[in-house]
Parts: sequence; C-alpha cells; structure tokens
Amino acid sequence: MRRYRDEEDVDYCLVGVGSAGGVLLQRLAKAGFKVVGLEAGPFWDTERDWVSDEKGSHKLYWNDLRITGGKDPLSLGENNSGKGVGGGSVHWAAFAPRFHPSDFRVYTQDGVGADWPISYEDLKPYYELLEREIPVAGPAYFPWGDPHGYPYGPHPMGGVGNVLVDGCTKLGIRVCAGGPVAILSGSRGNRPHCIYRGFCIQGCKVGAKASTLITHVPEALEYGAEVRELSMAFRISMKDKRRANGVHYYDENGREHFQRAKAVVVCGYAIETPRLLLNSACAGHDSGLANSSGTVGRYLMAQAGNVVLGRFAELIRMYKAPPAHALTEEFYETDPRRGFARGFAIQTVGPLPIAFAKQMMVAKGAWGWGMRRVLMDYNHWATLGVLGEILPWPENRVEVAEEKDQFGIPVAKVSFSLRENDKKLIEFGKKTVMEVMRAAGAEEVVQESRYAHLVGAARMGSDPGTSVVDKYGRTHDVSNLFVCDGSILPTQGSANPGLTIQSLAARTADYLIAQGDKVFDSEERDMTPPPIRRRLAVRDTFAKGVPRVFK
Amino acid sequence: MKQRKQPGYYPGFSTLSQKAYWDAATRREVEARVNAVPEIRFFTDEELALMSAVCDRIVPQDDRLPEWRIPVVNYIDERLFENRISGYRYEDMPADRDSHRLGLRAIDETARQKHGRAYTELDRQQQEEILKSIHDGEELAAHEIWSRMSIDRYWQLLVGDCVSAYYAHPWAWDEIGYGGPAYPRAYMRLEGGLPEPWEVDEQRYEWVAPPDSISDVYEQTGASETSHHGQAGTH
Repeated sequence: MRRYRDEEDVDYCLVGVGSAGGVLLQRLAKAGFKVVGLEAGPFWDTERDWVSDEKGSHKLYWNDLRITGGKDPLSLGENNSGKGVGGGSVHWAAFAPRFHPSDFRVYTQDGVGADWPISYEDLKPYYELLEREIPVAGPAYFPWGDPHGYPYGPHPMGGVGNVLVDGCTKLGIRVCAGGPVAILSGSRGNRPHCIYRGFCIQGCKVGAKASTLITHVPEALEYGAEVRELSMAFRISMKDKRRANGVHYYDENGREHFQRAKAVVVCGYAIETPRLLLNSACAGHDSGLANSSGTVGRYLMAQAGNVVLGRFAELIRMYKAPPAHALTEEFYETDPRRGFARGFAIQTVGPLPIAFAKQMMVAKGAWGWGMRRVLMDYNHWATLGVLGEILPWPENRVEVAEEKDQFGIPVAKVSFSLRENDKKLIEFGKKTVMEVMRAAGAEEVVQESRYAHLVGAARMGSDPGTSVVDKYGRTHDVSNLFVCDGSILPTQGSANPGLTIQSLAARTADYLIAQGDKVFDSEERDMTPPPIRRRLAVRDTFAKGVPRVFK
Repeated sequence: MKQRKQPGYYPGFSTLSQKAYWDAATRREVEARVNAVPEIRFFTDEELALMSAVCDRIVPQDDRLPEWRIPVVNYIDERLFENRISGYRYEDMPADRDSHRLGLRAIDETARQKHGRAYTELDRQQQEEILKSIHDGEELAAHEIWSRMSIDRYWQLLVGDCVSAYYAHPWAWDEIGYGGPAYPRAYMRLEGGLPEPWEVDEQRYEWVAPPDSISDVYEQTGASETSHHGQAGTH
C-alpha cells in the first residue's frame, strides 16, 4: 500500500472508509487522484480477526459511547453502526433493493418529508453499476418501483423465506424469493459463493457477502490510495473562512496528527458525520462547519424495524441461509385508504440464539424458566421484519454532549421521537406482517418494536437555508468540503439504504472527477451533471449480463 | 427436577464434536468459553453472591448436572471489568457498571423491605417474586434508586446480559439444537427444518418447570413490546 506523509498535500482526505467511503476511495484513486482514507477502526484480516460466532463479533460495531434519548430513543452500536474498514457494509444483512422513483419526490406527492434535489433517473445508472460491482443476486424480475432484474441468480430458500413466500401467496401478496441481496450465489474472481451458514451480520468470513473491504478497497489500494487504520478524526481544519485544508486526527496511541489535503470528504455516516462537523466549529463557523442553515444533525432517520416472530408446529431452523433472502415491497407506496403517508416492506430476518433470546425477552416477556423453555423451541420459530419509512423531522437529531470519549472528543447525543404518521405506519405494518405470519401457518405470533438503519443528519437539497450539501454532496458553506454517506439522504423510503448510499458515492465520484482541479482552487459551483464513467467500475464488472425486462 | 448433562430435545447433539470443521479463530473463541472461564474481577464478594443468586433465577440451571452448568456471572463480570459497552447509554440511565451495581442494591433493598431478610436468604419463590416485580416495572421499594434509573431499561440490561452469556455457550447450542459455526464446511439442508447429517433431529418430551416457579409464564414486561436492548442489526 502506498503511504503518504501527514504534511504531504494529498488531493482528497476521506474521513471514514465504510460503505460510501470505500466506493469513493476506489473511484478517486482509479481516476488518478492522491487520496487518503482515515478509518477509526482496524483494517480487518478476516481470517484472523473474524469468527463464526455471535458473541465474538462484537468488535465489528461502533462501541464507543454515545448518548441516546428522546421519546423513542434508538439503540445504537451493533444495531446500526460499524467500525473498521468496510464500516457498516461489514455487518449489514446485505438486502440491496433500490429506492423507488416516488422516494425522490415525497414532498410533492404526499406533502410530507422532503423532495430530493435529484430524481430516480439521475441515480439509476449508478444503481445499475453498483448492482454489478458488488454484485446483487436476486430474481430475474423484480416488480416494484422501476422493475428490473439482477445479474446473479436468486439464492436457494431457507426456512424463513419459505414462511414469507407461503404467507404472502396465501394472502395474494406479490413476493420475491432469493434476493435482492449483495451476496454471491456463484463465485466470482477470488470471491467464493455463499455457504449458507447464516452469519452475514457477524461479518462474512467466507467473502461471499459484499462489503467495501472486499469489493472496492482492494482496487483502491492497487491504484495508489492509502487507507490509514485506527485514525480517529476529530476536527476539520480551515485555511480561511471558505476553504478546508486538512483533518486533525488521533492515532491508536492517542497521538495527534494533521493530514493536509486539497479537499476533504466526510464519510462517517449519520452520527459521526454530524458529530465531526459540529466538533469542527471555529470562528466564522461558530455553530459547526457547514451549518449556516442550522440543519447539521437534524432530520436524522431510522426505519421502523419491528420484528414479528411466529412459532410453527414443524421445524424451521432459521439459522441456516442468509437472514436476508426474501421480501415484498407490495406496501411500499402511499395508499390513501390506510390513513398515513408512505409505506413499508416485509423482509426475512434470521436471528441467532442470543438475538432471539433478547427478542423473546421483549416480545413474550420471557425470563427464567420461560426463557429456557422458549429457547428450547428456537428451531420452531420464524422471524419476519417490518421495514417502515419514518419521516424526517427536525427534532430528530444529533448534537454533541458534554461527555467525552476515550480521546477526549465530545460524544454524540442522539434524540429520536416518533410523530403521528410514523406511529400509524408502524401499527399498520406490524399488523400486516402478523397476518402474513398467521397465513403461513404460525400457531403463535408475537412482536418486538425496534428500529433499523440510520440516515439523514446532513441532508442534501437545493436550498442552502434548509440543507447541508448540494446534490453532489458539496457543502453549501465550504467549497472544498463534501459529505458522502447515508447522512445526505433527505428521505429514506422503505428500502435498506446500503445500495443507495454506494450509488450516491459513485455519483459524487463522477462529479469530483469531472470538476478536476476546480474543486481545489476555485469557489465556482458548476452544477453540470457529470458524465457517467462506467470504466471506473470495479474491474470486469461493467456490462455483464443482466436479465431483460420488457416494459 | 431431573438433572441432566444436556437438557433439551436434541439428545446426543454436540456442536463441539464438529470443531475439526471450524476455522481456527472460531475454534479458539468457542473452546475458551468452556476451558478458560474468566475470573471474577469486577464484583465484590458480596455483590458476587447476590448477582449469582439473581442470575440463577434469570437463567435457572437446576435441570443441569452441576458440572454441566454454564457460567453466566463470570461473563457479565468480565464485560463490566473491561468496561465493554454496546456503543451507547440511554440518557435516563447511568453507565452500565453503575446500573448493575444500583440494580443489585435495589433488589436487596426490596427483599429487606418486603421480607426483612437479604435477597440471598429468601426462598426461590420469594426471589422470583422480587424479580417479577422488576419485570413488571413495579417499584416495590428502593424508590431513590429507581428515580435515577429506568426500571424497564434495567430489566432489559440484566436479562440481556444473562442470556448473552448463556446462549453464547456451546452447551446451550446443544440444548436448543442450534448448529453453531459452519465455516468453512457450510450448511447443505436449508429447507424444511431438516438436520445436516451431523445434526440431530428433534425428540420432544414433556418438559416441566418446577411447579413452585412463577417464571414459566409469559407476561408483558413494564416496557411492553418496546426493545431497549442492543441487538446485531436484524435486516
């Protein structure tokens, strides 16, 4: 791996080498830029560091202190935040659906949430690229949103997928089996196919599940990028009021460093990104960098992630097969008859024993002998998840607290509360999934209320008064400071955000490449759409066969 | 209760018997759970006696032969000693270390107020009644402590830590028929709940909890169906 010295003026310093940072790093390096990615966590050696074990995988998550509150506080850490090269893409379940065209104009259509400054058509070519690059396995015909097919064939079914397909089919709900998931159903290059061991969210030791650690970072290094592990950024440095000139960070021993850069891209995800911007407050940017609108940290979103558990007379053994392997988006769009805006998806979930025991603690109030009894029936249970769209609200936000982390950096304080539309949507989604579970033949159905994913908190928009970044991820306030991660999403749909985050990163890369040196030495904001650089896709992935869809 | 080496419906099933098919890092990790149980370093002697008595009712093991019981307190102690947190703290909760210490004090205070004796001196049913009141979110005593700490969140912290230790152990996997690590060998029979050739099919029998226990019923907790616990992302 090429290494840059701190005082060397690299072109781009990326903060965070996760889902988005990994893609951006690969694109910029391949286009010939000098680029360094600072990553707070380790550069994993998967064979040495990872285990096929639920408890032993705790280190994959962002475990440093954060404070969580509000009326409906979010659990963080293992629920939604990764640490280490690959970031959250290391422990995502790898469901990889696209957003629907309607997601980009929620305000226009429903009078709630926000419109995106781009349309589905702007992002579509990048969805197509990333679906081949990571790649996504799924059905030849995916009927929802903008119908399309997947380049890798659908996975074989596990017990939970069959429950979802059975229940939906009995109720006349369209459902798709075997994907879309970013897990290899056949080997490609050095990456073997899935072995159906069920440990996707504990880090795929097999290498079948996509994470940027194996899909994009290797090529980034090959083209001269540096990934600097165990480097915790704590302040973006400003040369003057309008220009950033590098990033201050601590190494693993707590020693302070400063990496000079001509431009900075924050790729820290929905909590660390606003935390870093807020902690970078300085004269002229007193309430935080890029925060003249006061929206840094606001409009944080999580999706409703209620888990519905059903007990069947027959055995299911839900620990086999990827937890993510079947879904329906039949309830995704607004239906005025339901009395709330937007919708939800239903997806398979396959908790391993510890997660299942915690779900039973809540869903059934199990403890003591009752806990032992229901866990002895673990193999009889199947688990489905609601994935529901919660709208962006200004009071759902990330701030910095007085408390400090192990480096002395003020920690994030996260507030989250549901509003009426969210509550109605969750109630309806939960009931619907319980009906599907019963239709599949479950003799007992219980549920647990929880949340999944995080996005927002540095949203993109055309109006600098109500958003943090423009449609390419450039902050409105600082012309060589960008945000590239899930925090820029104005709304979240009811699709898992991973594919969209990576597609946006590829689009930002094309913009930066098209702008060239103008990013470094001009304050001009050229909003011309960049050409789509398909040749920057990971080697041998562009223009591979995809099922035909006739419209 | 009849004591067994391995309760559950999968007699003879042993995940550890398959360890030759696991990768080295996983084998080390899981074997250590059986062979290298951590020493107590966080709890004081007094706290340890109380915590052990509490854990014995949260995940009771009276049906296991003493030499086949799964260490629970040691792993909670290890986590607290190393101050290994899940990445967040609720704003209405103290740090995990303090929460566990305060919770133990509240349990003991409740025992003394209700029965005039320490929790450890109560019979099983009395112990269960006190734990059940916390499960229900009912503050019988120790109001000062519960004013500083959410009783519902404490319950999920306590039970969550207990089950995280118990169901991390390969003997618990054998009990519930969970196949355990499967890299690099893989699973082959994904559908129909069918066992791998090396797994065991279910053989049910009438499993009865002790008749004087009140924990073998399912009732909603004080937090209802709302989860406060961390859990590896579901979907």
